[in-house]
Order: sequence, then structure tokens, then C-alpha cells
Amino acid sequence: MSIKRSLLSVPLRFGYVMMFFFLLLGSGVMAANPEVSDSEEAISAGKSIFNSNCKACHRLDQNNVGPALRGVTERRTLDWATKFIRNSQALIASGDADAVALYNQWNQTLMPAHEFLSDDDVMNLLAYIEYGDKAEAVAATGDGGGAVAAGGAGVPSEYLTIILAVLVIVLLLILIVLGLIISILTKYLGTQNLEEDDKEFINQRFNFSKLVKSDAFVLIVTALVVALVAKTAIDGLYSVGIQQGYAPTQPIAFSHALHAGQYEIECQYCHTGVELGKSANIPSANICMNCHMHIQNVGGQDGMSPEIAKIYAAVEENKPIEWVRIHNLPDLAYFNHAQHVVVGGIECQTCHGPIEEMEVVYQHSTLTMGWCIDCHRQTDIKAQGNEYYDKLVQLHSGSKGSLKVKDIGGLECSKCHY
Amino acid sequence: MKITNSIYVLGLSGLVFLGACTASGDHPGYEYAPQMYNSVAYEPLNQIVDESQGSWLSTREDGKGEFFNSNINNPNRMNMREPVANTVPRTKDGALPYRLKAFELEEAAKIENPVELTEQVLAEGRVLYRQYCSTCHGNNGEGDGKAGEVVGGVANLKGGAYIDLPEGHIFHVIMKGKGRMGAHGSQIPQERIWKIVHYVKQEIQKQ
Repeated sequence: MSIKRSLLSVPLRFGYVMMFFFLLLGSGVMAANPEVSDSEEAISAGKSIFNSNCKACHRLDQNNVGPALRGVTERRTLDWATKFIRNSQALIASGDADAVALYNQWNQTLMPAHEFLSDDDVMNLLAYIEYGDKAEAVAATGDGGGAVAAGGAGVPSEYLTIILAVLVIVLLLILIVLGLIISILTKYLGTQNLEEDDKEFINQRFNFSKLVKSDAFVLIVTALVVALVAKTAIDGLYSVGIQQGYAPTQPIAFSHALHAGQYEIECQYCHTGVELGKSANIPSANICMNCHMHIQNVGGQDGMSPEIAKIYAAVEENKPIEWVRIHNLPDLAYFNHAQHVVVGGIECQTCHGPIEEMEVVYQHSTLTMGWCIDCHRQTDIKAQGNEYYDKLVQLHSGSKGSLKVKDIGGLECSKCHY
Repeated sequence: MKITNSIYVLGLSGLVFLGACTASGDHPGYEYAPQMYNSVAYEPLNQIVDESQGSWLSTREDGKGEFFNSNINNPNRMNMREPVANTVPRTKDGALPYRLKAFELEEAAKIENPVELTEQVLAEGRVLYRQYCSTCHGNNGEGDGKAGEVVGGVANLKGGAYIDLPEGHIFHVIMKGKGRMGAHGSQIPQERIWKIVHYVKQEIQKQ
């Protein structure tokens, strides 16, 4: 509690109004209507009403979708406030000057009617608004949009780098020490009286050019190079026609890590076709606008993000955003998302990888025929609760092993090629 | 020595050349028979907009590249088009397009849910609710979804202002949007919206 109740009670309108001094808000000198109770019960009853009906748009000490509410009973009469809470739209329609001004000031945002609230409910609500949760004001100013928590994954990798660096330094030191020991020993032995053979051994020099020109060396290096080239050639040829790892720059730097990861938006929210047809579909700009008509920048910053501005431009000009397709199945193969996702019950991530962690989407799987076939060989049919398969399961029950995709034509050429 | 030298040169150039076959970043890699990879027909989500692509093997009469498959007659050269004006899509259950405008809430509230309430419908409604609604309204409908916190002003479906709303009203708001909520009619077919309505009424608002 860093909000102090001032000791000097200043007479305002009625004389006995307590003053609240908001340390962090500074200018917030407010006084509540004395008819509003400040009893614990009223405040806690008001809090539950506030949380279930008001919290979506209002905060006590901050402007949100609607205005900050604390001090409302000083700004308005109780009667007016009650009417506005109960049915603001009726009050606006009746032409009440204050209500109309407020409505226009807040971009003509409509507030739902709350006619189910009794007089006591409204008074409790106002009690909470005036006297409840004072600490929230402090927390709110201290919070300042730092909601984005840093990922915990950074710590171990940092440790790993440090450990590696230390190891390298230790090895280098050992190398230097060993070098020093050799030179000291050589010098020492040079001063001793030794036999001819030993002297020659100590003083011999390592002859590089002789080694490089030796037949054995040339042979070994040539063989290694040929092997390396052959391996690269084979790998390269196998990678023709495989777009695994393809991560093109998109017209808008859309982050799946932010949308699907941090905000946990389900894949199907945007890729609406995935359960209904062949293609999962790329969302058109109107789907982006469901949220982005209210969100103009990332991380709660002010102003318009240049990337989000591109969505607005696309909507205004009615011009589609030209996303670059990543998963390009060849025209010679047929694939249907609905069959795999609805009937097969496969998770998106099985083929598309950890999409919810990708800043830029890349092709996770190879999408080769071998990859398809492999899965069809191993995957059991989800026959439970699907009467389409009843007969097949019955026919299959004699043979050993479970009913797999390959057993019902999953390897037939014409399933995918026609 | 000359032979070894030429082997080195060959090897290095081979490494560089074949290394470039692999896809990465903006480079999609190469294909053996690109004619079989690229669709001749107009594809909705796979169109090639570069007129010169595949010009090296083109046999087209219009002189454009073999792989160019964008429709030059459409706005923005798109292959997809909006449905023809004044036509109606035929669905298997015969549902007609929803004709009420966004402001006609009172009319909409009178509509009855055409989908029969069964256990299976509720289960499907739950899945659909999680897919389309949870991100803002939260799994329990209390307006506490992760994205909802950033969007702001998300309704608590259990709040007094919403708890007694008729099914037609909920359907209309999902379809056309209301207040800060956008229209979801283009994302979710009508039958599925009615299933979500069942779930909201039967499960979320009765908790």
C-alpha cells in the first residue's frame, strides 16, 4: 500500500469528504460520494460484480476500452451513474448531454445493459469502484507493458557457451605449457653430454614439404577428397526436388511464435479449410482484422507497426496479400487435409513441425513419397467410433497386427496419383 | 600432380554446385522435372505470377513461360474469385445464406437453433469453441483468453448481460460481430456456429 490517506481532511463539497492522495498517479485528487459505503462486505460484493460484468472493458485507475472508473461518484451524480450502468444506451438515446458526450469521447463504443443489477448491487459495485483494490493502481503503473516474459530456454544455452569457452581456454593453456616443457627439456638435454644417436633425435626438425610430397600423403588426401565429393554429389542429387528447410521471406513478417505460441490461437482459427477440404487455406485479411482492428502494434507500444499497416492497406485497397507458398506438393500428387486431420486425427505439428515456435515458417518435413508411404505403413486406422470402418475391422480381425493405413489401400498408386 | 590438382578443382566446384541444390531461406531448391511439379491448370493457392518462369522450355502460343498460371483476366491476376453476385451456394443440408444485417439483432434473436442437441453435437461444439472462441473468451467463457487480454473488452459469457441471451442472438453475434468482436461468418460454416451456440448455452453458461 503506497497510497497514503492524507491526515488533513480538506473540506470539499460537503465538508466531511476524505481525501485520497494517489502517490503514483500524482494528480489523482478524488473524493467519493459519501453515500457510497466503504464497508468490507460492500467492497467484496462489488468486486465479484465488477469482475464478472465490467472487467472486460474497465479498470479502476486506468483507461482501457472504457474510462477509468475510480472517482465516478464525484464526477457524476449517483442517480446518473446508476442509470448509465443499468442501461447506458437508453440514456444516450434519451439525449442526456453527459452521456452523449461520453459516448462520443469513447469512439461511440456501446456498453451492454445491466438491468439485472439491483439498487444494492449497484451501490456495492460503486463501493468497490471507489474503495476497492487500491494496490492495483500501483501495480498498473509499474507494469507498463512489460507483459512479454522472456523465454526460459536462453539460460542453458548461455551456460553451454560459457562452458565451451572455458574448455577451449584450458586446452590452449595446456598446449602452451606442453610447448614450454618441450623447449625447456630440449635446452636442458642440449647442455648434457649425450650419445650421437640421441643428439640427432633431439635436434631433428619436422620436415613439412617432404611429408606433403610423399606418395602416401597424396594418396590419402586424394582419396578423402574423392570420397567427400562423391558424398556431396549424392546428397546434392537426393536433395533435388526436396524443399525441406525452405523458409521464404513473406510479404508481412508474421510470427507464428507470437500468434500460435504466445497467444495460443488455434491453427484452425485462421486456417479455416483444414477440417473442411483439401487445403488448409491462408487467411484473408478480414480474419486478421478480427483482432487487429484493436491491436495496431506489438507489445503494447503506441503507434502503428509497419507490418500491421500492411494488413490495413490490403483491406483498404481490397488487394490480396501475396504470401509465398512454402509447402509445394508437386502437381502430380494429391493430398487432402480434411482426410488426414478429421478422419486420421493427425496433429498439425506431426507434419508441419513446431509451428508454434517458428518466427519464420520453414518446411519441416521432406514431403517425399517415401515420407508419405512410411507414415501410411506405420499408422493405425482410427476405427473407433467411425462406423465406416466396421466391416474392414471385422474382415481384418483374422490377420495378425493392427489395421494400418497400408491395409486399406494406403499404398495404392491411384490413391494419390491420378 | 596435375591430376590431383584437377581433382581438387573439380571437387570444390562440385561442392559449390551441388550444395546449391538444397533448399534454404528464400531458395526453394531445384526439381528434376519441373513440368510435373507445376500445375498447368489455375490453382487457387499455388499460382505463379512471374510471366517468364519456365520460358526455357515453353511451347505456349502466347509466348509466356511454361509455368505462368495466373489468370490475367481476373482482378489482381488472382486465380480465386468471389462468388458471382446474386448466386447462392448449395450446401448438403440446404442451408441458405444468412441474410440478416449486423444491426438486425432483434430479428435474429427469434431464430431457433436448427441443429438438434445431442451428446455428439456438444462434443463437436466443445472442439469448435476451443478452436474459434477460447483464444479471446477463454476455455470457460470468462473473457480471459490469452489474445483477449490484448484485444480488450472481451465479454464474460457468464456475466449477467449475456447469460440469458437467446440462441439466435449468440448465433448472430458470431456470424456478424458486435461491439469489439469481429464477424466470424466467413470463417465458420453456419452449421458449426449453431453447434458452438449449443455448447455455449448448455455447457459454459450452465457451469
